Amino acid sequence: MHIMEGFLPVDHAVGWFVVSAPFVVAGAVKVRKILGERPEARLNLAAAGAFAFVLSALKMPSVTGSCSHPTGTGLGAVVFGPSVMALLGTIILLFQALLLAHGGLTTLGANVFSMAIVGPWVSYAVWRGMRSVGIAIAVAVFFAAALGDLATYATTAVQLALAYPDAQSGFWGAALKFGGIYAVTQVPLSIAEGLLTVVVMNALSGRAGKVDEVAVLAGEVRR
Amino acid sequence: MSPIDRSAHLNRWNKKPLAEKALLALGMMVLAIALPPAAGAPVVAIVMTLATLVGARVPPGLWLGLMAAPAGFLAVGVVSLSIRIDASGIGLAPGGLMAAAHLAARSLAGLTCLLFLALTTPTSTLIAGLRAIGLPQEIAEISLLMYRFLFILADAAFAMDAAQAARLGHASWSQRLRSLGILIANLLPRALDRARRLEIGLAARGWHGDMRVLSDARPATASGIAVVVALEAATAAIGLFA
Repeated sequence: MHIMEGFLPVDHAVGWFVVSAPFVVAGAVKVRKILGERPEARLNLAAAGAFAFVLSALKMPSVTGSCSHPTGTGLGAVVFGPSVMALLGTIILLFQALLLAHGGLTTLGANVFSMAIVGPWVSYAVWRGMRSVGIAIAVAVFFAAALGDLATYATTAVQLALAYPDAQSGFWGAALKFGGIYAVTQVPLSIAEGLLTVVVMNALSGRAGKVDEVAVLAGEVRR
Repeated sequence: MSPIDRSAHLNRWNKKPLAEKALLALGMMVLAIALPPAAGAPVVAIVMTLATLVGARVPPGLWLGLMAAPAGFLAVGVVSLSIRIDASGIGLAPGGLMAAAHLAARSLAGLTCLLFLALTTPTSTLIAGLRAIGLPQEIAEISLLMYRFLFILADAAFAMDAAQAARLGHASWSQRLRSLGILIANLLPRALDRARRLEIGLAARGWHGDMRVLSDARPATASGIAVVVALEAATAAIGLFA
């Protein structure tokens, strides 16, 4: 969920840039290392990024009947890995602000933190954790995508509550208020994205031959 | 795919120096969120709206639609700032309406700045500008390649979507979800395959990993920068002292 342009006060806008920066720089260093070894990987990385951007521009049917957009966070984290996603996600969010007017430039730091850092890492942790204890792939994919989306939305609610705490009940009151209002749209969305990602991974594993080898499709991007 | 991109390439200020446009948009954006919103935000909004619609002649219908797009997000913010929930039930928060009005003014003013930049300056030009002020070359090139790929992929995605719709792929909720899943699963290998073919084509031409392209960027003029700075100083003065 994108925080719109100008929504955060100056100190919060700057603060979230500072918080996000190390993750994005780490992602950039990793990408530069990959490119230093194999210059041709930049085409793959760019294609992966463009794919994730187009994904977020598609309409997804949500449970309440309304249409929304998939975030691709869970899929990206499982297929490409979360550290590369921090950099690709940042470029994607910049493009979304400039080409679709979703999100904004002053709120880019906050949006990067919720959508390109917290979401992918939660998805990745859930995916690895559930696979390591032997839970079925479809179940692990569903929870990785759905919980990644929920974590993104909870992070956004926290960011908004930190910027605009309730006059009486303070931060927690505001977090409940923002979280409660957004839950109406975001919880069905997370479930829909979870189901969608299972369909995608099923179809992808049909191409890859073996389900566990879907990451092979990511090719140079992954290594 | 993106009417914003079309406008960015076709508007009247397309050829204006990047530094002047970026300084105007980003400077005003900072003013929009930093100045006290009661006076600062309306001035920023008026200046940037005039610059977009009168200066760059962006189609007003397109601009209005984009201004209205985040209305839902803004409404939620405004509502949650102006109400309070406690033991006695739901009521208006003290001072909440004022805070909500300031929030709306600041966000909309910020949005006019973002739209000015997005609607008058192609993304590829902005990336070239970022490269000039220190963005690592690899990151700039990945961004430029991504910009190139995404329109091709979006075309493919919309064609697949139309084909699915024509074959009753959107008939029910579950069918829609399944169709979208198949579409995405077909799009990813297609994207990577296209990258591979481009790579082979480039390798055949002796490519070593950096892209050199001609640019028709014009250097910023002193008078243009002076006008922008004067405009921003005047806005800051009105915002601070009005």
